[in-house]
Order: sequence, then C-alpha cells, then structure tokens
Amino acid sequence: MFYTDQGMSGIAKALTPTLIGLAGVLALSLPIRLFEGTIPTPLIPLIVIFFWSLYGPDYVPSVSTFLIGLLQDFMLGGPLGVWTTAYLVTQYMIINQRSYFQGREQHVVWLGFLIAALTAGLMVWGAMSMFSGQWLSIWPMLGQVLVTFAFYPVLAVGFSSLHERVIMD
Amino acid sequence: MEELGQFRREGLGKKSNRRLSLIFLLAVSVMMFVFSLYGAQASVFEKARETLLDIVEPVLSVFNRPLRFVDNRIGNITDYFNYLEQNERLREENAELRTWMNEAITLRRQVTYYQELLDVQFDEAAEAIDTRVVGETGGPYQRSLIINAGRSQGIETGDAVIDTEGLIGHVVTTGNSASRVLMLTDFSSRVPVFIEDAGIEAIVAGKYLDAPELMFLETRDIETLQPGMRIVTSGAGGNLPRGIPVGSVDSIDERTIKVRLFSKYNDTDFVRVLDYDFIEISVDEDIGADTAIIAAESEVGSSDPEN
Repeated sequence: MFYTDQGMSGIAKALTPTLIGLAGVLALSLPIRLFEGTIPTPLIPLIVIFFWSLYGPDYVPSVSTFLIGLLQDFMLGGPLGVWTTAYLVTQYMIINQRSYFQGREQHVVWLGFLIAALTAGLMVWGAMSMFSGQWLSIWPMLGQVLVTFAFYPVLAVGFSSLHERVIMD
Repeated sequence: MEELGQFRREGLGKKSNRRLSLIFLLAVSVMMFVFSLYGAQASVFEKARETLLDIVEPVLSVFNRPLRFVDNRIGNITDYFNYLEQNERLREENAELRTWMNEAITLRRQVTYYQELLDVQFDEAAEAIDTRVVGETGGPYQRSLIINAGRSQGIETGDAVIDTEGLIGHVVTTGNSASRVLMLTDFSSRVPVFIEDAGIEAIVAGKYLDAPELMFLETRDIETLQPGMRIVTSGAGGNLPRGIPVGSVDSIDERTIKVRLFSKYNDTDFVRVLDYDFIEISVDEDIGADTAIIAAESEVGSSDPEN
C-alpha cells in the first residue's frame, strides 16, 4: 500500500480521516451549546464516514468506523453498540451505492447524505426506544440529523480540499 | 469536488475483505447492543467507561479553553449592553436577599434551639467538592456532564450534583480523575422527590427535553397540585439526601405534569458534588426491639383466656 512506501507521512495521511472522525466525537462531548443549547451539535463523525466511504473508502475502513462509533457510544454514556451499528449500516449503504454517487452533482450527493443520515437517525431512535422500553420522541433525533445535514456542504468542501491537497498528495 | 470520484488510492483497508469485515463488525455491534439491553454494562464495559473518562478528561479540558474564552467574551459584550438594567435588578435582588438573610438567621437559631430540646439526630452536613464541567454529551437522548474530579477527589458513584440553584443530577460513572453526571433531563433519569406544599411523594422522570415530568406512585392527592409548588429530593431509596431543591411544578394538563428545574442545566460551567453519609440505623437495636415486641405479643397470646 502507498503509505508503506511513504513512511510515517503516508501513515499519518491514511489515518487523518479516522482521526477527524474521533475528533468529531470529542466535539460532540464538548459543552459547545450552539445558540445557548437550542441547536444540537452536528454529527461530524457521520459526515466523515459518509464522505470518505464515498470518495475514499480505504481511508475509513470498517474498523475505523467501528472505533468511531464505539468511542461515541462510550462518550455519550448510553448503551454500547448503538452508534457503531448506525455508522456501520450507513457505511454499508454508501459502499453499495458508491458507483451511483460518483461523478454526480453535489446537491445529489447532499440529498444522498440526508437519506443516509435519516437512516442512521432512525436506527438510533429505534435502538434507544428499545433500550428505554418506551417510544421516545423522534424529534430530538430529527433535529440533530437536520443540523448535520445543514453542516454537510461546509464540511464537505473542507474535507474535499484536505483529501485532494494533503491526503492524496 | 466533482473529480473526487476519479481517484482510487489504497488507504488503511483492503478492498477484497472490506464487506466481510464490515458485516463481522456489524454483528459484533448488534451483540454489544443486545448485551447492553440485558444489563451487561455493569462489569467490563463500566470499567472501560471509567478508564476512557480518565483518558479523555485532559483532552476535553484543553479543547474547553478556547470555548470558554469565546463564551466569556460574548458574555462580556452582552453584559456591557445590559449593565444598567442588570445593576438595577441586582440592587433590588440584594435588598430582598438581605431581608431573607435576617429571617433565615432567626429561623436557624430557633431550629437549633428546638433540635437541642428534642435531641434530634440529623444527617451530617454534606461535604461539597467543587468541580469544573469539561464535557457535555451532544447526543439526541442522553444528557450528561463530564466533570474534572473523580475518586481521587473523594467522589463516589451516586453522589448528588448541584449548581447554585438546585439539583443537576447524580454521578453515574467515577474514574480516577473524571466523572460522569447523569442530568435530570436524561431520558433514563429517575429521582424520588417530595412536593412540599402538597405533601406528595413522586418521581421526577427525565424526558431528554428541557422539562422533566412527574410520575406518581399514588394518584389520590394529585388534584391538590398547583403550578409553582416547590419540589425537593425526598431521600427515598437512600441515594440522594432529602431536601435538595429540584424545581417547581410548571404546567399541569390531563396527561402530564411538567417540572421547571431550578438548576441552570443548559449553562453550567461549575458544579458542586455533595459527599454525604446517611445515618446508619443500628440493626441490633431494631432486631432487639422487634424481638421484644414479638415476645410480648406471644406472651399476651399465651395468657389469653380464650386460647
């Protein structure tokens, strides 16, 4: 693989998306409180997993996705396996639909992200409802998905620049 | 970004077994969730949570600094525009608090006098440990805080956590240098409370939204509830001490009674962990008393002429 040829710098580049995903989990655990806590923190790890599963799946292997989800499960303090499952299913979906999205207009990809985020959100909602033994309101989950959807274009531009200029360089 | 799909370079994974490893890890994740459902979090997973808290606490503390800087600057600007109004409000509040303080001093003297007269045994005053909030979960349903103090500072799982206004929650995970606090607004939070003016015991149940709801074990006196009634911890269950202010009855409708929390749960930078001990009842004395009662009853029974 290329990173073995390029030594430490290659390894660092290959690890970058995973590290961004893990940093995204830490961002979820910081008291950011957008607009005094009325706006939920966007799910940056979901954007990382979607983006690199689509444009460079080898940079976010399933082990990385699992670790990102596991860290999120631990950091949020809820049951284990919820976010790992949601993220791995999202990755599975994207990898299967990769050929459809490649080369498409960005607004199509953005819409694809919404579908993937809604799927992940529904899974988390279902799992948390099962865990609590009652049907929880879906609105908090939908709110977070929509905020993440709104953040996607901004982060995707940054990630594509990073991917082209640093990681692929 | 259009040309991103054209690149194909190898990264960490191998294309050939990507799907297989993904399905394998998916199966592991589902198994982990099933184990969590059946309460397997207690042992290995709980230890992992404690260790992780200790690892991430310094990282979160570092990332917190710029956040606090920005937050303080924004706060300062807002204060600058409102300082006249704030000053006026604080003067009024100060005058009111002085009246309350004098009344409280008088009442405290009276209470101390009656306690001495009655020789009442009370819980020892809780020791307070001041800590900083370094993390706050941003999940859709969980509401918890990460604080920068743990076992080495004397914090134990189950300790009550308050801010200047009232109860925030209680400690659920304790690492060596960091702890997790389950907030009253978390969907799994259940805290036994006492509604003072109505004399009703209830449970404050978190609803992952701002306002928790009241759940009742008995429904006979619910009609007496009025908005504004003060809610404090009841001490039932022996987890939290009695009398910590929680909130007040906010709104009452046919299906739900919501609670307005006193604590600033959305804007908390510092919290206080209460380290306290409940009075331990002497078991021997009780058993002795019970045995004496049973013995007396049997004696009465045996001497009953009808037997």
